Amino acid sequence: MPRRVVAIVVIVACAAGVVAYQATRPARAPADPHVFVPSPKFFLDFSPSFRTSIADVYYLSMVQYYGEHVNGDGKLDSLPAMVRLVTQLSPHFTRAYLFGAFALMDARQPGVSYEVLKRGFEANPGNWRFPSYLGFFVYAFASNKDKDRIAADWYSKAAAIPESPARLQRLAAVLLGKGGETGKAIQMWGQVYSAGDKYSRKKAVDGLDRILPADKAARMKAVAPLRDTMLKADFEALIAELFKGYAP
Amino acid sequence: MKQLVAITINTFKETIRDRVLAVIVVFALLMIAGGLWLGSISLGEQGRMIKDFGLVAVSGFGLIVAVFVAASLVHKEVEKRTVFVLFSKPVSRAAFIAGKFIGLCGTMAVVLAGMGLFLFALVWIVAGEASGMVLLAVLMIYVQLLAVVAVTIFFSTMGSAILAAVLGICVFVAGQLSHNVLALTRLGRNPVTEALSWVVYVIVPNFSAMDVKAGAVGEQTLAWGRIGLWTAYILAYVVVVLALAALVFRRKEF
Amino acid sequence: MTVQDGEAIRSGAATSAQSRAAVLVRDLHKTVAVGFLRRQVEILRGVDLVVDRGEVFGLLGPNGAGKTTTVKVALGLMRPTSGSVQLDVEGLGRVGYLPENPYFYDYLSGREFLGFCARLFGLDAAARHERVEALLCDVSLVDAAGTHLRKYSKGMLQRIGIAQALINDPELVLLDEPMTGLDPVGRVEVKRIIERLHERGKTVMFNSHILSDVHELCSRIAIMRSGRVIWQGTIDEALDEAPSLEDFFMKVVTS
Repeated sequence: MPRRVVAIVVIVACAAGVVAYQATRPARAPADPHVFVPSPKFFLDFSPSFRTSIADVYYLSMVQYYGEHVNGDGKLDSLPAMVRLVTQLSPHFTRAYLFGAFALMDARQPGVSYEVLKRGFEANPGNWRFPSYLGFFVYAFASNKDKDRIAADWYSKAAAIPESPARLQRLAAVLLGKGGETGKAIQMWGQVYSAGDKYSRKKAVDGLDRILPADKAARMKAVAPLRDTMLKADFEALIAELFKGYAP
Repeated sequence: MKQLVAITINTFKETIRDRVLAVIVVFALLMIAGGLWLGSISLGEQGRMIKDFGLVAVSGFGLIVAVFVAASLVHKEVEKRTVFVLFSKPVSRAAFIAGKFIGLCGTMAVVLAGMGLFLFALVWIVAGEASGMVLLAVLMIYVQLLAVVAVTIFFSTMGSAILAAVLGICVFVAGQLSHNVLALTRLGRNPVTEALSWVVYVIVPNFSAMDVKAGAVGEQTLAWGRIGLWTAYILAYVVVVLALAALVFRRKEF
Repeated sequence: MTVQDGEAIRSGAATSAQSRAAVLVRDLHKTVAVGFLRRQVEILRGVDLVVDRGEVFGLLGPNGAGKTTTVKVALGLMRPTSGSVQLDVEGLGRVGYLPENPYFYDYLSGREFLGFCARLFGLDAAARHERVEALLCDVSLVDAAGTHLRKYSKGMLQRIGIAQALINDPELVLLDEPMTGLDPVGRVEVKRIIERLHERGKTVMFNSHILSDVHELCSRIAIMRSGRVIWQGTIDEALDEAPSLEDFFMKVVTS
């Protein structure tokens, strides 16, 4: 009988010890901003069969890493290496580029962000999101004098990709106008008007109104090039709206 | 021919009634569902996570089933002396080997189809995508495992079941790294090692060239011609390996 | 059917000189490599044996004498190192064999197992069904036919073993210790089966340690020791030289 009691006591003590240890361990060990990230070459030499799975693992750990540090110590030292690893292993993993770029902005590395997005666009030239974000990045964060033109360039590239949203063209047009590239802006608005729906047409007319000279003759001269790039019916409808209220 | 059919059916019954198999399948399904949890922390990439990890699970568990069942198939008959009952009847050693192989392939088809359909359904329900590429990837995993089964059966005719299982796994891994072996043949340092590497390259099935998992998540486009070629390659490989196994087995005494 | 010098030659019946012999073993030698160092051990050292067609023949001897090995060589499970074994049948399709301490597929039911064996002989579905049911009746396993072999007792396994040995209605039946594990009722059933086979003109050869059964069933016996046949003859001849078969056996084996 005593032997059985001893056995039970030992077992219960062990169980209690296990539970106590787990319960009193610090819930979250302080996260290290420096994480070992293997170079992409190591995995690229590895089997292609599991490349995407490895990319996924590092993507998830990248998301976790970002979450742990962005509101904590704010140090995201290993983030660029992680983004590079994931995107090199899985070049068509769009979200990895996009998440990475924004996360890198939080890491105060806009230059790296920009490069990530450019690489993403190179690997996925049919994805309008990349040039669209690139345009946004330049417009919002760049300090170049001609940032509007560069941004507009990106938006134009995005707009040229099939199935891209109509607003990209409008954005390009607006930025071209702002950057002093009035001729290009007028062309872009012409394209926006050609989209055909009431909303686009209204936006196009408003946009053109803002950049066209008020003088009727100058105005006519400025919009004349559109005759070559728009359908006849569209052009005539646009002219009608642009010169509404002008004396014939 | 009738003997081949009899042994095939018997092997199918033997393997599909195996309780260990059921446990492995349950674990596989759990792992596939584990992709769901990973999807939840992926910022909206559930579809991709479920597909990727699901296919890794199918690959891994498929390999475990293939190797451990194949290794024991021949070995069990010799150990338990059911071979006496078998070969005292007009059954050729070749029909025995072929029947064991085909019977196990039938069971594996059922297992992988089950896991594949489960994964497909999961992707559909969670990510709203009817991903045919997932099913194709599972099919290619099955084709690869046919080669692994054949090789494992071959090794099991020569001796220990555990050794056969370990070698089967090694061949699978080596197959994944086949392109690395090819690189070794082109190092240009020593004609002997180059020749040896080339022999190894030919012997080991080239799995690295035929993975479709990346295609399932959009990293690769696929041509049906290539799939046909890969399948034909594996079938030819299987025929050669099983012929060797039958040869070895013919010389065996009980 | 002949097994000779390492290869099985599936020829027709025995030569006319020994046209009554169902089993003809001539100077059979068998050496195996044993252990890690592949030590050569001679198991059969020149076995000469004749089993006549239609008789019930007993193969006796102490453990390790080579009885089972001789049968295995006859069936092609092993290859002879030299010498030959000739069976007066067209091939294994006309032979039935029950191994010692048999083990069968425990995931199959009794009926499924017999069906599998019948399939191996190329029987069509109707013939299979008929043979399986008839044999289940003969060995009194009809009630247990649907149970998995995993759940069979030793005696039941022995009986299903006899059934599978007879599934193809063989001309030659080789039984290794057929009475092992059987209760008295089972033993009587098996003896009756052997007697019925004899009545139908089949040749039966069985190994056994139970000399009373041998006395009851066999017309001729052979005694083996250390890889050779040291005595071969009829039961009557044996009983001329000793009061009982046990005494005769001890006398021969210890001489």
